[in-house]
Amino acid sequence: MDIRGLVLINSEGMNGEFSGLPPALVEVAGKSALQRTTERLRQFGAAEIKAVIEGPVTFAPRGNGITGPKCITTSRERFWRVAENAFAELVQDGAELVLLFRLGGYAEIDIERLVQFHLDQHCRVSQVSYGIESLEIFCISASRRNDAASLFRSQLTKCRSDCPSVEHTGYMNPLAGPTDLRQFAIDILTLKTETRPGGKPLRPGVWVSPGAQIEKGARLLAPAFIGAFAKVRAGAVITRCTSVEHHSQIDCGTVVENSSILPYSYVGAGLDIAHSVVGAGQLASLRRDTVVDVRDGKLIAHLAATSGRKLLGSATEFLAYLPKQVWQGMFGARRRLEPDFNTALRQASPSLGTASGYQAPACDTEAADKFSGSLAVARRYGNQ
Amino acid sequence: MEINSRPVVVKRMPERVNARTAREFLRDVRPFLVTDRPQLVFDLSQVVQLDAAGVEMLLRCMSEAHRRDGDLKLASPSAQASVILELTRTERLFEIYESSTDAVRSFSGFLPNAMRQQLLHKRPLNQAVA
Repeated sequence: MDIRGLVLINSEGMNGEFSGLPPALVEVAGKSALQRTTERLRQFGAAEIKAVIEGPVTFAPRGNGITGPKCITTSRERFWRVAENAFAELVQDGAELVLLFRLGGYAEIDIERLVQFHLDQHCRVSQVSYGIESLEIFCISASRRNDAASLFRSQLTKCRSDCPSVEHTGYMNPLAGPTDLRQFAIDILTLKTETRPGGKPLRPGVWVSPGAQIEKGARLLAPAFIGAFAKVRAGAVITRCTSVEHHSQIDCGTVVENSSILPYSYVGAGLDIAHSVVGAGQLASLRRDTVVDVRDGKLIAHLAATSGRKLLGSATEFLAYLPKQVWQGMFGARRRLEPDFNTALRQASPSLGTASGYQAPACDTEAADKFSGSLAVARRYGNQ
Repeated sequence: MEINSRPVVVKRMPERVNARTAREFLRDVRPFLVTDRPQLVFDLSQVVQLDAAGVEMLLRCMSEAHRRDGDLKLASPSAQASVILELTRTERLFEIYESSTDAVRSFSGFLPNAMRQQLLHKRPLNQAVA
């Protein structure tokens, strides 16, 4: 049977955007919810998987060694139309069943059970429920295009025909904000989910992705995850289910405890980060339930935007150095001659003079003329 | 991941860990610490008194083991020891297991359920935020 997958990610009805990305695209322990869902669909045997993402092209996940779905990015207005077209394309390509996921949260549904239920009940469309609420996960018979169309046009709220539901009893995380992101990382690292952290185990409970740099003297306590090309500098401690995502940097002596460091984040030296989610120059403290915008780049910074500029700036400075020196030598203003010692003695310091009402008496006396210019030398060797 | 076949040394810590007993304990464990990639487990089940010297000794052992690419893990800490470790914020520097057996097994395989995780799941995070 030809089964294909369609994953939708949009911001409608979601309130959990952190670090500028929809939660389903934020990487947690090496992979985003989209990549994990795609992996599960592939494991099940889905022939083709498409993802429709609301937002700019940069939102589409880059290939980090994981075979991702075919991503289509679109605007908010065109989202549902594009999703419907993507469904139609899957059907045209020969799909008999389409598994439709709208990713807000992450659910590890039993796909085999869902498909079996769908076939046994001869459903046109079947849905997954979790307790009393319905999840936006559907199994749609490809031949029922009108049912699918009505589903897309109602933004997955209404189905034209009966839509029996199959109950999900496995892992579920709504990914509604930093708290859920953190809990997701904890659940992955403590193996409460079927999906596993990315990378390879360095030692029991510590997963490290290729390209990560862990300096000597840094301490990693299980369970922990270090993403690709992340740097953990000397003296840093990564402990208690902490995940440091790709291209992040933890500077010397910083302790990161029970926290998620999102991709391209820099955490400064000598800090103590606990029970937090750090990303895009923000720190979400889970204990205090607050998000702090950290402006000081020495504490927390976002590396993605600045690294290119930094490189460009350094290159420009390097190239401009020699011509600048030549220009200054030829046309630059001459340096002012330093006032001689006696003139300097007569001038009252502006900071001491009018501002404080203090007049330096010695400076204005004629006695200053009696001192020669070698006074400083005389004082230096005053004991001789 | 390599298969771990090196021995794991388990030492039970004394009831009272003060400056004197800490020194004696350190003298006892030093031969194990100076081996290549030492793997040690300290059993804290008997500890009823742990002072700053004891905590310092634990940190010194941990850093010695770490310097030689080894590790020191703690097992079944008593309530008193747990309180002191939390108070001094040193508990996060150690992997702490419910029993010595689990701590020993953790050198060759990840045992998330055997780890002390009271801080992770003390209360559901959703409730904490609400």
